[in-house]
Amino acid sequence: MRRKAGLVLLAFAVFCAAMSPLLRWYAFPRLAKIPPSQYQEAVLEAKNPTLIDYGTMKAKKVPKVTIVQTLKGNVEASEKIEKSADRDVVVWDALSYVQDSEGKMVSKIPERYIFDAHSQEPVHATGEMVDGDPVKRQGIEFKWPFLTEKRDYEYFDAQARVTRPIHYKGTQNFRGVDVYYFEQTIPWTKVPFPKTMPVKGITPESLAKTGTTRWYTTVRKFWVDPTTGAPVYGEEIQKNELRGGTLLGGRDKVTVFAGHVKMREDYIKHTVDLVKSQRVLVLLLTSYLPWGFLILGALLLALSLWLEARSRGPGAPAPAADNDPEPEPVNA
Amino acid sequence: MRALIAAATGLAVALALVLTITAIGAPPGETSPEPLLTTVPKHP
Repeated sequence: MRRKAGLVLLAFAVFCAAMSPLLRWYAFPRLAKIPPSQYQEAVLEAKNPTLIDYGTMKAKKVPKVTIVQTLKGNVEASEKIEKSADRDVVVWDALSYVQDSEGKMVSKIPERYIFDAHSQEPVHATGEMVDGDPVKRQGIEFKWPFLTEKRDYEYFDAQARVTRPIHYKGTQNFRGVDVYYFEQTIPWTKVPFPKTMPVKGITPESLAKTGTTRWYTTVRKFWVDPTTGAPVYGEEIQKNELRGGTLLGGRDKVTVFAGHVKMREDYIKHTVDLVKSQRVLVLLLTSYLPWGFLILGALLLALSLWLEARSRGPGAPAPAADNDPEPEPVNA
Repeated sequence: MRALIAAATGLAVALALVLTITAIGAPPGETSPEPLLTTVPKHP
Protein backbone atom coordinates (compact mmCIF):
# COMPACT_ATOMS: atom_id res chain seq x y z
CA MET A 1 0.00 0.00 0.00
CA ARG A 2 2.83 2.36 0.97
CA ARG A 3 4.66 1.62 -2.28
CA LYS A 4 1.50 2.32 -4.26
CA ALA A 5 1.06 5.70 -2.52
CA GLY A 6 4.71 6.49 -3.20
CA LEU A 7 4.25 5.83 -6.92
CA VAL A 8 1.13 8.02 -7.09
CA LEU A 9 3.02 10.80 -5.33
CA LEU A 10 5.90 10.38 -7.75
CA ALA A 11 3.51 10.75 -10.70
CA PHE A 12 2.10 13.95 -9.16
CA ALA A 13 5.62 15.22 -8.41
CA VAL A 14 6.68 14.78 -12.04
CA PHE A 15 3.40 16.36 -13.19
CA CYS A 16 4.04 19.43 -11.04
CA ALA A 17 7.73 19.66 -11.96
CA ALA A 18 6.81 19.50 -15.65
CA MET A 19 3.98 22.03 -15.33
CA SER A 20 6.34 24.67 -13.95
CA PRO A 21 8.52 25.26 -17.07
CA LEU A 22 5.70 24.34 -19.45
CA LEU A 23 3.49 27.11 -18.07
CA ARG A 24 6.23 29.71 -18.03
CA TRP A 25 7.92 29.04 -21.36
CA TYR A 26 5.29 27.25 -23.45
CA ALA A 27 1.85 28.32 -22.27
CA PHE A 28 2.59 31.94 -21.31
CA PRO A 29 3.94 33.10 -24.71
CA ARG A 30 0.92 31.51 -26.39
CA LEU A 31 -1.79 32.53 -23.94
CA ALA A 32 -0.69 36.07 -23.11
CA LYS A 33 -2.23 38.22 -25.79
CA ILE A 34 -4.31 41.31 -26.29
CA PRO A 35 -7.93 40.29 -26.87
CA PRO A 36 -9.06 41.42 -30.34
CA SER A 37 -12.37 42.71 -28.97
CA GLN A 38 -10.95 45.20 -26.46
CA TYR A 39 -12.68 48.55 -26.08
CA GLN A 40 -11.04 51.27 -24.07
CA GLU A 41 -11.39 54.98 -23.63
CA ALA A 42 -9.24 57.58 -21.92
CA VAL A 43 -9.76 61.23 -21.22
CA LEU A 44 -6.84 63.62 -21.06
CA GLU A 45 -6.91 67.30 -20.25
CA ALA A 46 -4.68 70.31 -20.73
CA LYS A 47 -5.36 73.08 -18.21
CA ASN A 48 -4.88 76.71 -19.41
CA PRO A 49 -3.33 75.82 -22.74
CA THR A 50 -2.78 78.15 -25.68
CA LEU A 51 -5.14 77.47 -28.59
CA ILE A 52 -5.53 79.11 -31.97
CA ASP A 53 -8.76 80.89 -32.86
CA TYR A 54 -9.18 80.10 -36.54
CA GLY A 55 -11.59 83.03 -36.90
CA THR A 56 -8.93 85.60 -36.05
CA MET A 57 -5.92 83.36 -36.66
CA LYS A 58 -4.58 84.42 -33.26
CA ALA A 59 -3.50 82.24 -30.36
CA LYS A 60 -5.14 82.76 -26.98
CA LYS A 61 -5.23 81.18 -23.56
CA VAL A 62 -8.27 78.98 -22.95
CA PRO A 63 -9.40 77.34 -19.68
CA LYS A 64 -9.15 73.77 -20.89
CA VAL A 65 -8.71 71.44 -23.84
CA THR A 66 -9.95 67.87 -23.55
CA ILE A 67 -8.72 64.88 -25.55
CA VAL A 68 -10.94 61.81 -25.70
CA GLN A 69 -9.04 58.80 -26.93
CA THR A 70 -10.98 55.65 -27.85
CA LEU A 71 -9.51 52.30 -28.84
CA LYS A 72 -11.88 49.76 -30.32
CA GLY A 73 -10.83 46.26 -31.32
CA ASN A 74 -12.20 45.30 -34.72
CA VAL A 75 -12.67 41.51 -34.49
CA GLU A 76 -13.84 41.00 -38.09
CA ALA A 77 -10.86 42.92 -39.50
CA SER A 78 -8.40 41.05 -37.26
CA GLU A 79 -9.80 37.65 -38.31
CA LYS A 80 -9.49 38.65 -41.96
CA ILE A 81 -5.84 39.69 -41.54
CA GLU A 82 -5.03 36.63 -39.41
CA LYS A 83 -5.85 34.36 -42.36
CA SER A 84 -3.02 35.80 -44.44
CA ALA A 85 -0.66 36.79 -41.60
CA ASP A 86 -0.87 33.33 -39.97
CA ARG A 87 -0.62 34.74 -36.45
CA ASP A 88 -2.85 36.33 -33.84
CA VAL A 89 -3.52 39.89 -34.91
CA VAL A 90 -5.29 42.78 -33.21
CA VAL A 91 -6.82 45.65 -35.16
CA TRP A 92 -7.48 48.77 -33.17
CA ASP A 93 -9.63 51.50 -34.66
CA ALA A 94 -8.71 54.54 -32.63
CA LEU A 95 -9.98 58.10 -32.48
CA SER A 96 -8.35 61.07 -30.80
CA TYR A 97 -11.08 63.64 -30.45
CA VAL A 98 -10.01 67.06 -29.17
CA GLN A 99 -12.44 69.69 -27.96
CA ASP A 100 -12.10 73.08 -26.33
CA SER A 101 -13.62 74.22 -23.04
CA GLU A 102 -16.85 75.21 -24.82
CA GLY A 103 -17.24 71.73 -26.26
CA LYS A 104 -16.31 72.71 -29.82
CA MET A 105 -14.30 70.26 -31.86
CA VAL A 106 -10.64 71.23 -32.27
CA SER A 107 -9.51 68.19 -34.20
CA LYS A 108 -10.28 64.52 -34.67
CA ILE A 109 -7.70 62.05 -35.86
CA PRO A 110 -8.77 58.49 -36.65
CA GLU A 111 -6.19 55.73 -36.76
CA ARG A 112 -6.05 52.05 -37.59
CA TYR A 113 -3.29 50.26 -35.70
CA ILE A 114 -2.62 46.61 -36.59
CA PHE A 115 -0.28 44.58 -34.42
CA ASP A 116 0.72 41.12 -33.23
CA ALA A 117 -1.48 40.16 -30.28
CA HIS A 118 1.42 38.54 -28.40
CA SER A 119 4.46 40.71 -29.11
CA GLN A 120 2.76 44.01 -30.02
CA GLU A 121 4.99 44.18 -33.11
CA PRO A 122 3.23 46.10 -35.88
CA VAL A 123 1.64 44.05 -38.65
CA HIS A 124 1.40 45.70 -42.04
CA ALA A 125 -1.86 45.20 -43.84
CA THR A 126 -4.27 47.18 -45.97
CA GLY A 127 -6.14 49.68 -43.86
CA GLU A 128 -3.25 50.64 -41.58
CA MET A 129 -3.53 54.42 -41.43
CA VAL A 130 -3.38 57.68 -39.54
CA ASP A 131 -6.05 60.26 -40.39
CA GLY A 132 -6.76 58.51 -43.67
CA ASP A 133 -3.09 58.44 -44.76
CA PRO A 134 -1.66 54.94 -45.27
CA VAL A 135 1.31 54.35 -42.96
CA LYS A 136 3.73 51.54 -42.21
CA ARG A 137 4.35 51.74 -38.51
CA GLN A 138 7.61 50.63 -36.99
CA GLY A 139 7.85 50.13 -33.26
CA ILE A 140 5.09 50.12 -30.69
CA GLU A 141 2.15 52.46 -30.10
CA PHE A 142 -0.21 52.78 -27.12
CA LYS A 143 1.06 49.60 -25.42
CA TRP A 144 4.37 47.99 -24.53
CA PRO A 145 4.98 44.22 -24.83
CA PHE A 146 4.20 41.90 -21.95
CA LEU A 147 7.15 41.69 -19.53
CA THR A 148 8.49 45.08 -20.59
CA GLU A 149 12.25 45.38 -20.29
CA LYS A 150 14.34 48.18 -18.82
CA ARG A 151 15.48 49.46 -22.19
CA ASP A 152 14.61 51.94 -24.90
CA TYR A 153 11.84 51.01 -27.34
CA GLU A 154 10.95 52.33 -30.77
CA TYR A 155 7.66 54.26 -30.51
CA PHE A 156 5.48 55.46 -33.37
CA ASP A 157 4.37 59.08 -33.28
CA ALA A 158 1.03 59.35 -35.07
CA GLN A 159 1.15 63.14 -35.55
CA ALA A 160 4.54 63.17 -37.23
CA ARG A 161 4.13 59.64 -38.67
CA VAL A 162 7.67 58.83 -37.57
CA THR A 163 9.20 56.25 -35.26
CA ARG A 164 11.69 57.45 -32.68
CA PRO A 165 13.18 55.87 -29.54
CA ILE A 166 11.29 56.20 -26.30
CA HIS A 167 13.86 56.08 -23.52
CA TYR A 168 13.66 54.08 -20.32
CA LYS A 169 14.32 56.60 -17.55
CA GLY A 170 14.00 54.52 -14.41
CA THR A 171 11.63 52.65 -12.14
CA GLN A 172 9.06 54.50 -10.05
CA ASN A 173 6.15 53.64 -7.81
CA PHE A 174 2.93 55.02 -9.24
CA ARG A 175 -0.06 54.65 -6.91
CA GLY A 176 1.10 51.32 -5.54
CA VAL A 177 2.33 49.89 -8.84
CA ASP A 178 6.04 49.60 -9.65
CA VAL A 179 6.26 51.10 -13.12
CA TYR A 180 8.90 51.87 -15.72
CA TYR A 181 9.05 55.51 -16.74
CA PHE A 182 9.61 56.18 -20.46
CA GLU A 183 10.14 59.48 -22.20
CA GLN A 184 10.25 60.42 -25.87
CA THR A 185 11.04 63.77 -27.42
CA ILE A 186 9.93 64.54 -30.93
CA PRO A 187 11.83 67.65 -32.08
CA TRP A 188 10.12 70.30 -34.21
CA THR A 189 8.83 68.39 -37.21
CA LYS A 190 6.68 69.46 -40.16
CA VAL A 191 3.43 67.53 -39.98
CA PRO A 192 0.33 67.28 -42.19
CA PHE A 193 -2.79 69.27 -41.41
CA PRO A 194 -5.61 67.21 -39.90
CA LYS A 195 -8.14 66.12 -42.52
CA THR A 196 -10.99 67.47 -40.38
CA MET A 197 -10.52 71.11 -39.49
CA PRO A 198 -12.62 72.92 -36.85
CA VAL A 199 -13.81 75.65 -39.23
CA LYS A 200 -16.02 74.88 -42.22
CA GLY A 201 -14.47 75.87 -45.50
CA ILE A 202 -10.91 75.42 -44.24
CA THR A 203 -9.41 72.25 -45.61
CA PRO A 204 -5.86 70.88 -45.61
CA GLU A 205 -5.79 71.60 -49.35
CA SER A 206 -6.86 75.23 -48.97
CA LEU A 207 -4.28 75.71 -46.21
CA ALA A 208 -1.56 74.15 -48.32
CA LYS A 209 -2.30 76.63 -51.11
CA THR A 210 -1.42 79.52 -48.79
CA GLY A 211 2.06 78.11 -48.29
CA THR A 212 1.50 77.85 -44.53
CA THR A 213 2.87 74.74 -42.92
CA ARG A 214 2.15 73.02 -39.60
CA TRP A 215 4.93 72.12 -37.17
CA TYR A 216 4.84 70.02 -34.06
CA THR A 217 7.03 69.04 -31.13
CA THR A 218 6.23 66.95 -28.10
CA VAL A 219 7.68 65.40 -25.00
CA ARG A 220 5.79 62.16 -24.39
CA LYS A 221 5.85 60.54 -20.96
CA PHE A 222 4.53 57.11 -20.07
CA TRP A 223 4.47 55.20 -16.80
CA VAL A 224 4.25 51.54 -17.82
CA ASP A 225 3.42 48.48 -15.76
CA PRO A 226 6.24 46.11 -16.81
CA THR A 227 4.18 42.95 -16.21
CA THR A 228 1.34 43.72 -18.62
CA GLY A 229 3.14 46.38 -20.66
CA ALA A 230 0.13 48.65 -20.19
CA PRO A 231 0.67 52.35 -19.49
CA VAL A 232 -0.98 53.28 -16.20
CA TYR A 233 -0.48 57.00 -16.79
CA GLY A 234 0.58 59.32 -19.56
CA GLU A 235 1.46 62.97 -20.08
CA GLU A 236 2.45 65.03 -23.07
CA ILE A 237 3.95 68.49 -23.35
CA GLN A 238 2.94 69.45 -26.85
CA LYS A 239 3.35 72.46 -29.10
CA ASN A 240 1.82 72.99 -32.53
CA GLU A 241 2.56 75.97 -34.77
CA LEU A 242 1.59 77.33 -38.15
CA ARG A 243 4.58 78.76 -39.97
CA GLY A 244 5.05 80.94 -43.03
CA GLY A 245 2.75 81.42 -45.98
CA THR A 246 0.16 84.08 -46.64
CA LEU A 247 -2.32 82.84 -44.01
CA LEU A 248 -0.51 84.42 -41.06
CA GLY A 249 -0.65 88.01 -42.28
CA GLY A 250 3.07 88.63 -42.22
CA ARG A 251 3.75 86.83 -38.96
CA ASP A 252 6.42 84.11 -38.93
CA LYS A 253 4.43 81.70 -36.82
CA VAL A 254 1.27 81.30 -34.78
CA THR A 255 0.72 78.78 -32.01
CA VAL A 256 -2.03 76.29 -32.81
CA PHE A 257 -1.81 74.52 -29.48
CA ALA A 258 0.62 74.59 -26.58
CA GLY A 259 -0.17 72.76 -23.40
CA HIS A 260 0.62 70.10 -20.86
CA VAL A 261 -1.77 67.20 -21.43
CA LYS A 262 -2.45 64.89 -18.48
CA MET A 263 -4.79 61.99 -17.92
CA ARG A 264 -7.96 62.93 -16.03
CA GLU A 265 -7.96 61.82 -12.40
CA ASP A 266 -10.91 59.39 -12.64
CA TYR A 267 -9.30 57.70 -15.65
CA ILE A 268 -5.99 57.37 -13.81
CA LYS A 269 -7.75 55.50 -11.02
CA HIS A 270 -9.71 53.38 -13.50
CA THR A 271 -6.57 52.51 -15.49
CA VAL A 272 -4.53 51.66 -12.38
CA ASP A 273 -7.33 49.37 -11.11
CA LEU A 274 -7.64 47.70 -14.52
CA VAL A 275 -3.89 47.14 -14.81
CA LYS A 276 -3.69 45.81 -11.25
CA SER A 277 -6.35 43.18 -12.05
CA GLN A 278 -4.76 42.22 -15.38
CA ARG A 279 -1.25 41.91 -13.98
CA VAL A 280 -2.43 39.16 -11.61
CA LEU A 281 -3.36 37.02 -14.63
CA VAL A 282 0.06 37.53 -16.19
CA LEU A 283 1.82 36.89 -12.87
CA LEU A 284 -0.17 33.65 -12.50
CA LEU A 285 1.46 32.26 -15.63
CA THR A 286 4.90 33.81 -15.20
CA SER A 287 5.44 33.50 -11.48
CA TYR A 288 2.75 32.24 -9.10
CA LEU A 289 1.87 28.97 -10.87
CA PRO A 290 5.38 28.02 -12.09
CA TRP A 291 6.93 28.58 -8.65
CA GLY A 292 3.95 26.99 -6.90
CA PHE A 293 4.13 23.87 -9.08
CA LEU A 294 7.92 23.67 -8.65
CA ILE A 295 7.73 23.83 -4.86
CA LEU A 296 4.80 21.42 -4.76
CA GLY A 297 6.65 19.04 -7.09
CA ALA A 298 9.72 19.09 -4.85
CA LEU A 299 7.60 18.44 -1.75
CA LEU A 300 5.72 15.57 -3.40
CA LEU A 301 8.97 14.05 -4.65
CA ALA A 302 10.45 14.24 -1.15
CA LEU A 303 7.32 12.65 0.30
CA SER A 304 7.35 9.94 -2.35
CA LEU A 305 11.02 9.13 -1.64
CA TRP A 306 10.37 9.08 2.09
CA LEU A 307 7.49 6.63 1.63
CA GLU A 308 9.66 4.45 -0.62
CA ALA A 309 12.49 4.48 1.94
CA ARG A 310 10.08 3.52 4.74
CA SER A 311 8.61 0.70 2.69
CA ARG A 312 12.12 -0.74 2.22
CA GLY A 313 13.38 -0.07 5.75
CA PRO A 314 13.75 -2.63 8.59
CA GLY A 315 10.44 -3.52 10.17
CA ALA A 316 8.59 -2.63 7.01
CA PRO A 317 5.98 -5.12 5.88
CA ALA A 318 7.33 -7.42 3.25
CA PRO A 319 6.40 -6.68 -0.33
CA ALA A 320 3.11 -8.17 -1.45
CA ALA A 321 4.83 -10.69 -3.71
CA ASP A 322 6.79 -12.06 -0.72
CA ASN A 323 3.61 -12.56 1.28
CA ASP A 324 2.56 -15.48 -0.86
CA PRO A 325 2.55 -18.65 1.23
CA GLU A 326 5.62 -20.79 0.75
CA PRO A 327 4.78 -24.05 -1.00
CA GLU A 328 4.42 -26.83 1.48
CA PRO A 329 7.08 -29.51 1.17
CA VAL A 330 5.64 -32.60 -0.19
CA ASN A 331 6.23 -35.62 1.91
CA ALA A 332 6.43 -38.90 0.29
CA MET B 1 10.06 -0.02 -13.74
CA ARG B 2 6.85 0.97 -11.94
CA ALA B 3 8.49 4.25 -10.85
CA LEU B 4 9.39 4.98 -14.44
CA ILE B 5 5.81 4.37 -15.55
CA ALA B 6 4.52 6.65 -12.80
CA ALA B 7 6.94 9.44 -13.81
CA ALA B 8 6.06 9.06 -17.48
CA THR B 9 2.34 9.24 -16.63
CA GLY B 10 2.85 12.48 -14.69
CA LEU B 11 4.84 13.98 -17.56
CA ALA B 12 2.32 12.89 -20.18
CA VAL B 13 -0.61 14.36 -18.26
CA ALA B 14 1.24 17.66 -17.79
CA LEU B 15 2.07 17.85 -21.51
CA ALA B 16 -1.47 16.94 -22.54
CA LEU B 17 -2.98 19.51 -20.18
CA VAL B 18 -0.76 22.39 -21.29
CA LEU B 19 -1.11 21.54 -24.98
CA THR B 20 -4.90 21.38 -24.64
CA ILE B 21 -5.13 24.68 -22.77
CA THR B 22 -2.94 26.50 -25.29
CA ALA B 23 -4.74 24.92 -28.24
CA ILE B 24 -8.14 26.02 -26.94
CA GLY B 25 -6.93 29.56 -26.18
CA ALA B 26 -9.34 32.37 -25.45
CA PRO B 27 -12.42 33.15 -27.57
CA PRO B 28 -11.95 36.26 -29.74
CA GLY B 29 -15.17 37.89 -28.58
CA GLU B 30 -17.12 40.39 -30.64
CA THR B 31 -16.46 43.91 -31.79
CA SER B 32 -17.86 46.28 -29.21
CA PRO B 33 -21.05 48.08 -30.26
CA GLU B 34 -19.77 51.17 -28.42
CA PRO B 35 -18.84 54.06 -30.75
CA LEU B 36 -15.57 55.90 -31.06
CA LEU B 37 -16.29 58.81 -28.75
CA THR B 38 -16.81 62.37 -29.90
CA THR B 39 -18.11 63.57 -26.55
CA VAL B 40 -16.37 63.72 -23.21
CA PRO B 41 -17.54 60.89 -20.95
CA LYS B 42 -18.46 61.96 -17.43
CA HIS B 43 -16.72 58.95 -15.91
CA PRO B 44 -14.92 55.75 -17.01
